[in-house]
Amino acid sequence: MAYKFLAVCGFGVGSSMVLKMTLEKVARERGIEVEVETMDLSSAKGSGADAIFTSQELGDELKRSEKIPVFPVKRYMDKEEVGRAIDDFLATHEEV
Amino acid sequence: MLNELLNRDRMQHQKGVESWQEAIRVASGPLLKEHVIDEMYVDAMIQSVEDNGPYIVLKDYFALPHAAAGKGVYVPGMALLTLEDPVDLKGNPVKIFLVLAAIDSSTHLEALSQLSEQLMDDEVYEVFLSGDLDAIGNALKL
Repeated sequence: MAYKFLAVCGFGVGSSMVLKMTLEKVARERGIEVEVETMDLSSAKGSGADAIFTSQELGDELKRSEKIPVFPVKRYMDKEEVGRAIDDFLATHEEV
Repeated sequence: MLNELLNRDRMQHQKGVESWQEAIRVASGPLLKEHVIDEMYVDAMIQSVEDNGPYIVLKDYFALPHAAAGKGVYVPGMALLTLEDPVDLKGNPVKIFLVLAAIDSSTHLEALSQLSEQLMDDEVYEVFLSGDLDAIGNALKL
């Protein structure tokens, strides 16, 4: 079963899509299946997903309102940093 | 398509700049001249970093300055500035500034996705870091 991730950014002009591409690439390299949807902050609230990936600032806001685990990423195109965020997520989830 | 948003006339290289604010202004120059954006958008990109921090730094040495779509933007466009000497952007050294001007949330996405794909390729990224505009243009097929 594929994990469902949300990539969230503030302006909704594309940073979240960059993050989505990095998440997909890194997930492929790790051999895990993911479905990533992009959203801006307002639509991210209350949606069903396994994890939310977003910036530090938006992450703090989402953590207050969301039950879904939030993983902050500083550099959306940095494969190593995004990889660490995915590893943190995987550490809390055994493969179904 | 990427080549509809970015072309050689919108790519610049120089030794250095005084500040990241200057880098964003210099990078935006060709887009201002072509009336793709106006000064309001340039100010908004700078203000947004002041307000929200260095979120535009997407990887080592690479920044994607942008602000809200359609406010001071007339057509979708991109412009590139490469620097020989990195400039500090709130604790991050940056050599590549790629200004993104969007009119809505979707028109530019294909171009941005093409570009991200390239920038995530380590070999192509080395070409960007070199600052060689001819080589960058070739790598992006512009």
